[in-house]
Amino acid sequence: MSNFEPNIIAFVCNWCSYAGADQAGEQKLDYPANVKLIRVMCTGRVDPQFVMNAFRGGADGVMVLGCHPGDCHYRNGNIKALRRFEIFKNMLGQFGINRERFLLDWVAAGEGQKFQKVTTEMTEKIKGLGPLVIRGYVESEVV
Amino acid sequence: MNEADSRTGLFLCRCGANIADFVDLESVASRMRDRDEVAFVETHDFLCSVAGKEFILETLKGKDVDNVILAACTPKMHLKGFQKTLGKAGVNIAKVHMANIREQCAWITKDRDKATEKARLLINAAIKRSAYHENLQQKTMECLTDVIVIGGGIAGIEAALVAANAGRKVTIIEKDISLGGSIIKTEEIAPNMECAPCLLAPRLTAVRENENIEVVANSEVTDVTGFFGNFTVKVRKKARYVDDSCIGCEACFEACPVSCPSDFHLGLGERKAIYTAFAGSVPASAVIDRERCLHFTDESCSACADSCPFQSIDFSDSDEELEFSGGAVILATGYDNADSSLVRNLGYGDIENVYTTPEFERVASSNGPTGGDIQDRKGNKPESAAVIHCAGSLSSGGLDYCSGICCMNALKVGELIRKQNPDAVVYNIHDRLVFKGPEEQSFYQKQIDDGTIMLKTDSHLSVSIKKKNGKVEISADGIDPVQVDMVVLSTGLVPSAGTDELAEMLHIDTSKAGFFKTDHPILHETGTTIDGINTAGCCISPCSSSSAITRAYAAAGDSVSRLIPGRKLELEIMTAVIDEDVCAGCKLCISVCPYTAITFDPEKKISVVNEAICRGCGTCAASCPSGAASAKHFTNRQIYAEIEGVLNE
Repeated sequence: MSNFEPNIIAFVCNWCSYAGADQAGEQKLDYPANVKLIRVMCTGRVDPQFVMNAFRGGADGVMVLGCHPGDCHYRNGNIKALRRFEIFKNMLGQFGINRERFLLDWVAAGEGQKFQKVTTEMTEKIKGLGPLVIRGYVESEVV
Repeated sequence: MNEADSRTGLFLCRCGANIADFVDLESVASRMRDRDEVAFVETHDFLCSVAGKEFILETLKGKDVDNVILAACTPKMHLKGFQKTLGKAGVNIAKVHMANIREQCAWITKDRDKATEKARLLINAAIKRSAYHENLQQKTMECLTDVIVIGGGIAGIEAALVAANAGRKVTIIEKDISLGGSIIKTEEIAPNMECAPCLLAPRLTAVRENENIEVVANSEVTDVTGFFGNFTVKVRKKARYVDDSCIGCEACFEACPVSCPSDFHLGLGERKAIYTAFAGSVPASAVIDRERCLHFTDESCSACADSCPFQSIDFSDSDEELEFSGGAVILATGYDNADSSLVRNLGYGDIENVYTTPEFERVASSNGPTGGDIQDRKGNKPESAAVIHCAGSLSSGGLDYCSGICCMNALKVGELIRKQNPDAVVYNIHDRLVFKGPEEQSFYQKQIDDGTIMLKTDSHLSVSIKKKNGKVEISADGIDPVQVDMVVLSTGLVPSAGTDELAEMLHIDTSKAGFFKTDHPILHETGTTIDGINTAGCCISPCSSSSAITRAYAAAGDSVSRLIPGRKLELEIMTAVIDEDVCAGCKLCISVCPYTAITFDPEKKISVVNEAICRGCGTCAASCPSGAASAKHFTNRQIYAEIEGVLNE
């Protein structure tokens, strides 16, 4: 298990967290290459089905990163995401997925260091949890 | 078109050594070349350079590709530029995609294998996503170029003049009976001690004489609909009972038998039941206070009508509902003085000679209740005064913020008192001072040189006030008690009454302190969370008069520079769209849209997106239970393809 390199997908909003990741890169702040970003305009766009789709497709961990509350480029899409994913986290267990495999957090455009920190910590946490194995999962019932 | 049919042109950028040193582009290129959906793979040192862009266009000549991927830096830096370049080759903007292999791969790890593997996956995701890209067209919209200004203080006036001078028709909607706002209640403006009414008078004349400006005073906004380029503002114009023929000659004032407290004097002086705020107001016409007027209370009086040389009195006048249209809205609703209940603990309301700074301004103003003669409520001229800084501010029970301009107003008290009584003793009691620049600092030094005694307390929260020996005694931790004739409490500034209601009507956000929230505190301070609604003056945060006017220029400039007669507005390209065959009419999208861009079509019983308002956040698409709502360029299909792409090659 020590060589386990998890697949982690981070859905990031265009305005804050994508730019925060850019800043991490610009400042040459190393973070695990395991984390792959998918850009959306707002975390409000992130449908819980995207997250389920990522888990089903082989992700061991999924992150949703957006603007800090109060800073949303679209007024309050991040708050809608927060509400949506609070409920979603409680449902993950019902799919046999440890809720620790999912993280919603805020990373501002100027927070390259925070981006480095959350992605590194998430990767370490998922390494500890091991690969995601979905048992008895019927695809057609979820999509 | 499905994935297998689509043909992708792939450009890899070395970015000098930035990418090439950390990602094995040769290995990436050779893996990609073998793929059916990849038409070609080309590598260049700097794709964003002039030579790079020529290389892109040259490469595309004679090639048949559906979409182009540039594996290079962050799209936030060069996507627009590449879209423009590729547009010359006939590639639609939505078919140009970037894989960020610099910021997200080359620069985040020194492990070349890992960086290369990640780059390959990001490019793979881009290829898979691109198969589902659809052409998007830039839509345009006719726009109105006129401007509606809400609030007629100095900021609203200046914004209106800028827009009107640019040839736009401007409507100023003012809730008070005439223009002037807060500044007209001020005698002189620190630190340069400019005469405020003298400064305002020519601006009022400029408004009155400007044919492009219509002033709608004594009016409140009841509803705002529309969007940038096409706003409609509904207004209730309250009855004045005096028509436009009134020139403000004041003949009726003497005739009117009713006296009552004057709002203009903050209750410190009186006015008649028929009144103007001040001589030379715009509009010039007087107004009748229906609640006080004897004609309306018991029909016993028509003295004003009898004395009017112009037959301007019209007791039959009634409220009017009006509607104004414009392409942009400028909010200039100003501020209110903090509620005096916040300073009750400092003797306000209990001890007669305790005033707030705005009240002191009225007492010291030449257009005030005493004609500018500084005296207390009994008519005595103070020999000594104490100004308490931060009264009701920076405290958990009051305002938790610093208003930034009160220190100047507080220091000004000494200047004004000494002007009339050079021997007066003036204390300033504070625990901190805030000055924004050299002129303010010089003014502070001048006050000390002229005799103001600065007493620094350990905490402004420890200040207490009581009556003693016919005077007022002020004590605080860290200072010896002082006894004075007059106390002035330097209070802070709060959002003007009605800010919340107006924000709700406009669908814009407010800040933690309750002011209108700015679009961006650095890049676009005068913008709001809705495009086309700008702010001028203090309605986003307390500021000096000069900053209020600078903000007005910014707001007006932003408005008129983007609304050009004869030019259409470019709309957001990546908007939401609702499939009317699939929409079940549940209205969930309407409830989550931050911009009220979605409305319900009652005939078809479906939701409809107004592309002129939609900003493309995609929240509706994520919320739609039937899948009818989708976000252009961020469709489920495209995102699923991208997920698949980053997980598997």
